[in-house]
Amino acid sequence: MTPYKSSSSSRRKFLLQSANLALTGAGLPVALNLAAMGQAAAFNANDYKALVCIFLAGGNDQDNTVVSYDAESYNAYKAARGQIALDRQAILPLGGVSDGSSRQYGLHPAMTGMQGLYQSGKAGIVLNVGPLVAPLNKAQYLDQSGKFPRPPQLFSHNDQAAVWQCGEPEGATIGWGGRMGDLALAGNAGASTFTCISLAGNTAYLAGKSAVMYQGSAGTGSVRINAAYDRSFDSTYIASAVSQLIQKPSAHVLENEYSKVTQRAMAAEAAVARAIATGDAANGRDGSGNATNPKFAPFTAAVLNNNELSSALEMVARIIAGRNLLGAKRQVFYLAAGGFDLHDNLVAGQQKNMHGLSNALTAFYETTKLLAIDSSVTTFTASDFGRTLSSNGDGSDHGWGGHHFVVGGAVDGGKMHGYAPPVGAGNLADGVDAWQVGQGRLLPTTSVDQYAGTLAKWFGVEDTELNGIFPNLKNFYGQTQSGITYPRTLSFMKLS
Amino acid sequence: MNRTTQSDKAPVAPQDFAAVLSPQSAPEPAPLELSATSQLTTGLSLLSAALLAACGGGSQPGETFQSSSPNLGPATNPTLSPTTPSSTTSTELPAGSTPSPSPAPPVTSASGFNNYPLATSDAQAARFLMQSQFAVSQTELAELRSGTYAVYLQKQFAKRLGQLGWDWLESRGYSTADKYGYVYTPWPADYMVWSQLFAAPDSMRKRCALALSEFFVVSMQNTTASFLWRGHAFTHYWDTLATNAFGNFRKLLEDITLNPAMGHFLNTKGNQKEDGKGRQADENYAREVMQLFTIGLNQLKLDGTEQLDGNGKPIPTYALNDVTNLSRVFTGYDLDNAQGKNSVDIIDANNRVTGNKVDSKESVQRPMVLDESKHSTLEATFLGTTIPAGTQGAAALKIALDALFNHPNVGPFFAKQMIQRLVTSNPSPAYVARVASAFNNNGAGDRGDMKAIWTAILLDDEARGPQGLTDPSFGKLREPMLRFTQWGRTFGIKSAQGSWKVFDTSNSDRLGQAPLRAPSVFNFFRPGYVPPNTPLAASKTPAPEFQLVNELSVCNYLNFMTIVINWQGLPVYDADKRYIDAAVESFDISVDYSKEIAIAEDAVKLVNRLNLLLCAGQLSQASIDLMVQALNSKPLTQGSPEAEKSSRVRGAIFMVMAANEYLIQK
Repeated sequence: MTPYKSSSSSRRKFLLQSANLALTGAGLPVALNLAAMGQAAAFNANDYKALVCIFLAGGNDQDNTVVSYDAESYNAYKAARGQIALDRQAILPLGGVSDGSSRQYGLHPAMTGMQGLYQSGKAGIVLNVGPLVAPLNKAQYLDQSGKFPRPPQLFSHNDQAAVWQCGEPEGATIGWGGRMGDLALAGNAGASTFTCISLAGNTAYLAGKSAVMYQGSAGTGSVRINAAYDRSFDSTYIASAVSQLIQKPSAHVLENEYSKVTQRAMAAEAAVARAIATGDAANGRDGSGNATNPKFAPFTAAVLNNNELSSALEMVARIIAGRNLLGAKRQVFYLAAGGFDLHDNLVAGQQKNMHGLSNALTAFYETTKLLAIDSSVTTFTASDFGRTLSSNGDGSDHGWGGHHFVVGGAVDGGKMHGYAPPVGAGNLADGVDAWQVGQGRLLPTTSVDQYAGTLAKWFGVEDTELNGIFPNLKNFYGQTQSGITYPRTLSFMKLS
Repeated sequence: MNRTTQSDKAPVAPQDFAAVLSPQSAPEPAPLELSATSQLTTGLSLLSAALLAACGGGSQPGETFQSSSPNLGPATNPTLSPTTPSSTTSTELPAGSTPSPSPAPPVTSASGFNNYPLATSDAQAARFLMQSQFAVSQTELAELRSGTYAVYLQKQFAKRLGQLGWDWLESRGYSTADKYGYVYTPWPADYMVWSQLFAAPDSMRKRCALALSEFFVVSMQNTTASFLWRGHAFTHYWDTLATNAFGNFRKLLEDITLNPAMGHFLNTKGNQKEDGKGRQADENYAREVMQLFTIGLNQLKLDGTEQLDGNGKPIPTYALNDVTNLSRVFTGYDLDNAQGKNSVDIIDANNRVTGNKVDSKESVQRPMVLDESKHSTLEATFLGTTIPAGTQGAAALKIALDALFNHPNVGPFFAKQMIQRLVTSNPSPAYVARVASAFNNNGAGDRGDMKAIWTAILLDDEARGPQGLTDPSFGKLREPMLRFTQWGRTFGIKSAQGSWKVFDTSNSDRLGQAPLRAPSVFNFFRPGYVPPNTPLAASKTPAPEFQLVNELSVCNYLNFMTIVINWQGLPVYDADKRYIDAAVESFDISVDYSKEIAIAEDAVKLVNRLNLLLCAGQLSQASIDLMVQALNSKPLTQGSPEAEKSSRVRGAIFMVMAANEYLIQK
């Protein structure tokens, strides 16, 4: 058999027909919807801001990430964790918490970059964040009367990931990234497609009422459909027919939705390619794989090696560098790193994960600094859930609250925000077990809505608009319960 | 179940094809240092497989249909597997020893079921074949149209189980622990599973096994699960699904529970009882066997809809305590170490025995074994069932799996997802109820008869009737790996050397999906995934496969198919070897368009043929016209050069496989 080898025909121009198709029909649903949402308060955005979510998929083990360090807490941690506990000598000390107690934390030994960011005030830590409907203490959690609502489907991966991102379990279709995107659309006129960008697959986090997620490629930004342009299969007519077929509207809802995604992809492809090419015109790679453009130099070959999160963050930096061409004033990005569901092999797995996370976040921050945009870009972590403090032998199981990082020039860094929960994994009703609901699963003392609401406020969302994005936020208004205060928003962002 | 990020790379131009499937982007295992062993999970061992007794056989004459559930004919008497492993291994089981052919029992019609008992057109027959297997051939069309759908199904159920993947690995020489390092990689399982998807003769069984692999998920993508003989382990898992595909759900559940690949993936392997000092049993399998493999999160009605409490809220099936208690049942298990511990010599580059040894491959084939001293004997209460303190492991496992299997959720939970995989994303509640009823009772009083499930799904009026062809929401998106498989089978794909060296296609610049490589135990997509910003979102209507659809994946699929259609196959390196040595590229895997080329000068005939074989005639006339017009822009005659005819055929195949009327299978 002699396989036919396709000639690589030039693909320099759009066929007129396909270009027209891309601009009609449902190709630009976002733009069409803009008029309808005129009454939504838009950001007063002459400046640029980007909010970057790093989702640690699988449920990050908070206890070996932000590690109990003062002697008493460390000993309790060590007792509960046994062979999955980190060596105290290896932990990177961070110092005390701000609640006046003697509690101290350190970082996983592989997070030297993050330690540097923290010490220089560019990274903050928010302790024990997780989904809550309203402030909830342990007695209320254990109450079976239904008087004290809990988030749905606790401890389930896919559902808790969705609750973090959307406030409801599997099947959610609107997330808070997308709702912020809704508010950003007016200011992003002409660039609405590039408001909510995922580099990690489909996520309802980036879907708003009007805002639509755009899936970019971490490698190239966008991808061109080769067979839809110029000549394909030796024929301009086939290329033209392909372009029509793949964008063809249909009365069948599934067919039509598939076509709409293709339409969006084709409409956006050239613009993304242009922005990235211009944004990093000098961003070649030398023989060692290091960036030749000094602004991207922090993404060294070593940082990028075997680290998909680094590659994706570098692409975010390139998109941000080309922001003026895309024209978006506000952008919400979603990235993910995998491998966090460490029921087994936790010590080795976490070493790799924390090293990769720390390197990626550090290189990204340094690059935004070189691009002189560091105070306009905030990166934060999220995850399905935290994990048990108790060891299951070689790992930990599904939990609830966890500790998270916020990085950027606008972060009130070098501090622990939120409440440091006591270290316990026993069966007491209170005391050291007051804020854990079994085997050290943390009962959150800061809700995702408070955490996200704080980020949203920095992003430019008016306080009056927050309740529309975070329906449970109205339940957090500065009240104190069981010794914990629940402010509407936290202080980890410097609001200008 | 770590959900890994989608990786993506530069789009691939046709001339870069070698890069797509080359060792650079998906490296063949490099020769590994022997010390690599120390980085891998060790402690493998031998086991004896309670394998897979295969399904079936022994059907009895039919009884008349009595209830509202479909009468599937009395089926086999499923023997629940004993909790102690039998001594039978899959390799001792002659391929094709099951099931024994039996006279086809009559399948009666009922309300909603089997009222369209036979195909009255080729398009109807093709539609059935696309739902029940991977592709359509003219031979199969003729065979199907010679009788009823039910008779055709009976023939598929009676077909000999084809070659086990395990035996294929043996035949290809993957069992040597040598310098090529196959003992450390999953690649042989990639080749194995593609060889089965593309070429196994028992294609309905393999189609069902693939659907099961998206329900009982294990994955080679999980890089933390590195262990010896991974290729063999995942191959044996695939064999377990294929062997039980026409058997009974209860036995399948037990077989996957004790399967070494699952043991690694969800951590039953090495799981130990509480130590009284804080260490607890690993909860992973206990949680996911409930959430994903049997009952799901909320209590269901027979029709798959949720039961609601007085406040209109769903009722959870289990709570944290149920998980913690059930996790005790799955303690004490590890690979069967009885034989073969460090029994296999590692051979060096000069084929000399190095003196280093690894465990035998049977350690990933035999069911995991119980060490009572590591098994929790605390009382375990879950789902209203209590296993008394002091119960031995095997007895506890039986109680637990029986409780799960007999939970009323299993029928609707499993039935709905299997309908979604084979027929439509949104079956009516009545359809789900009919299939769930067949799960609950196959007509002969047996619960969990898999043949009854497939029959009920495929003969349902909703699958067979004409309504779905005009209903604007019926059907499902074809999964990328099924499109690729269908293309290969439709055009007679072959591996000249029989090595089927298809590399991992899961990178997003390939198909964004590969068999046995889901990103996590939550599969490639969730049964409840609702595409945001669509009319489906407003009505909360799921379209699971759309979780894979985005601006990147739609483009990459088209670019990938452009390449393979144009190249009429896949280039591979050193197809005659199991390793890469000289890196000699050849188109070992190739398809044959000669039947299409023979009619290429007639564009209408060509498109009509492809419409039947690839789309069951579901292309619209407007799309057909558009394709024909594009093809006829370059007129051909009988005497036109072969190259021009071939070019037209390739363009036609691509246009069909790019059309949304193809992508959505109705």
